[in-house]
Amino acid sequence: MQSYISIENLAKSYGVVTAVNNINLGIEKGEFFSLLGPSGCGKSTLLRMIAGFETPTSGAIKLEGADVTDVPAHRRPTNMMFQSYALFPHLTVGKNIAFGLQQDGLEKSEIRKRIDEVAEKLQLTALLDRKPAQLSGGQRQRVALARALVKRPKVLLLDEPLGALDKNLRTETQLELVRLQRELGLTFIIVTHDQHEAMTVSTRIAIMKQGQVLQVGSPAEVYETPRSRYVAKFLGETNVFAGGRAERSGEELRIESDEAGGGVRAAFTDRVALDRPFWVSVRPERVELSTSGSGLEGTVEQLTYTGVERHYRVRLNSGATLDARRVNLGAESDLRVGDRVFASWSPQASRLLAE
Amino acid sequence: MSSVVLSSAAAPSAKTNWGKRLLIAIPYAWLLVLFLAPFALAAGISLSTVRLGMPPFEPLTAWDGSILNLRLNFENFLYVLTDDTYLLAYLTSLKIAAISTAAMLFIAYPLAYGIASCAPSSRSLLVFLVIVPFWSSMLIRVYSWMSILRNDGLLNALLLKIGLISEPLRILNTETAIYIGIVYTYLPFMVLPIYSTLSSADKTLIEAARDLGCSRISAFWRVTFPLSLPGVLAGCALVFIPVVGEFVIPDLLGGADTQMIGRAIWLEFFNNRDWPMAAAVTIVLLALLVVPIVYFQSRQARTQN
Repeated sequence: MQSYISIENLAKSYGVVTAVNNINLGIEKGEFFSLLGPSGCGKSTLLRMIAGFETPTSGAIKLEGADVTDVPAHRRPTNMMFQSYALFPHLTVGKNIAFGLQQDGLEKSEIRKRIDEVAEKLQLTALLDRKPAQLSGGQRQRVALARALVKRPKVLLLDEPLGALDKNLRTETQLELVRLQRELGLTFIIVTHDQHEAMTVSTRIAIMKQGQVLQVGSPAEVYETPRSRYVAKFLGETNVFAGGRAERSGEELRIESDEAGGGVRAAFTDRVALDRPFWVSVRPERVELSTSGSGLEGTVEQLTYTGVERHYRVRLNSGATLDARRVNLGAESDLRVGDRVFASWSPQASRLLAE
Repeated sequence: MSSVVLSSAAAPSAKTNWGKRLLIAIPYAWLLVLFLAPFALAAGISLSTVRLGMPPFEPLTAWDGSILNLRLNFENFLYVLTDDTYLLAYLTSLKIAAISTAAMLFIAYPLAYGIASCAPSSRSLLVFLVIVPFWSSMLIRVYSWMSILRNDGLLNALLLKIGLISEPLRILNTETAIYIGIVYTYLPFMVLPIYSTLSSADKTLIEAARDLGCSRISAFWRVTFPLSLPGVLAGCALVFIPVVGEFVIPDLLGGADTQMIGRAIWLEFFNNRDWPMAAAVTIVLLALLVVPIVYFQSRQARTQN
């Protein structure tokens, strides 16, 4: 079945530098889709190709089945919210929002109606006569959003839209964006380098590295079952050990790891080839630490209190470090720096990863 | 939110320290000595009466026994404002300044736009080329134009050789030659401020306009051009004001039938030795120029708010 937006073998090079390398993606109608990756991974270039600001070197972009690869930016049914907001400094908020509608040649009364509608939705009604220079960062962000939304695009593209906001406002605005997206039923594509932001807002995330998409899935999928070391480390924190000889017994694997200094149990999977180099990973919040029992032996080297959690860094006997976390439930920590501990976790918490 | 914005905007630098005052005082002292004082002198002379001798004007004040007489002669001003020759000279100057300012705008804007859209590495070279003519004296450059525009000059020789004309065109000593000279000489003053606003413009604004449905041309007219207006106004003021009082170019390139006000002042001073009259013509010219300057200034201040 054809996706709402389908990106087919898309590539973009600047001279010898390949920014986007043969990407295939399908995005469905009504999705809040994230392109997540470090700076320079090609996520912004990909977004700019969807907007029509960059011409792909090869490949195609299709919207509702129609090829829009060669359609210039001003004729595409997409609108972009820029990282810098790109508000027109010589126009008032009202005229900024009206800009695209005037360009479409809409009737004055219709323009008025649509501006009032979007201004009310985004709490901008009182600010319509101000110039952008007279607004706070959060207000500018809302004007930029209003200016793009008022055109009723089929796809709204957001390029690091919350990067300039402080942390508290950012969290608030993320939830606001999700609410707005559900309410309008529009398709949003957002570019971000903030994994927390991608997890919060998205229906699906594409994790990118060096111009390629490594994995696509819902936030839970990519967090719980990362397919590669890179994805596992990029999304949240994780402990990774090189795997050695593996022995299967029923639905369980027992993996010898020199790096971890002992055996690690994992649920059997045929997704990862065990005859090639592979790794075992476990999230810090899934690790249990106890002063007696069995597991990987080590010493508590550092203890950090963050309020919500306590973070333990354990130096294993093998020399590797292992991070563990416990939710703060009010009790004092029974572990101190220097204590001998045993680290263990359930086989289901282990993930096998390819390179 | 609004209170935060207002308080930060309305908080003037309450603690103006002495260092800052001194820094401002130096240029103001400079202006006082080199601009205001000569202006007062000229204003004084304009209200005096011509006489033979040195200086060639009567003092404004004279002691008559124990009485200090102040004699202000307004006849010069009445004459300047009613005499057709001066009126014509003022109008000619304003007309030539207005037309050449418009011509420079038409040439300079595309030039500045072109330079600003080049790669940053080649921009500095192109800006450098715009100001290279300043390396030689303006007088030499105007003389070069005389030899280009003469009846047997380079231009006519070229046109005759190509066969575009069969007999030499008379360009030198006409108003056309004045326009050529003025536009050539003052063009950099129009290019540079426009270039500076265009090159510092935020390129993502153009992308935003394109994204919102503008073609390249409408993005230019709705975003680029309005944002470059401060540069356009600065450039116009920078060329219009000195061109009105221009003396050298009309004197060397223009003919006897084109009387600009700069030349009229020169004639009064040096040919007629009528200093009070020359001073009166100058003061009226200054008044004519102050009006547009104040207008531009207040416009500028309004757009910035």
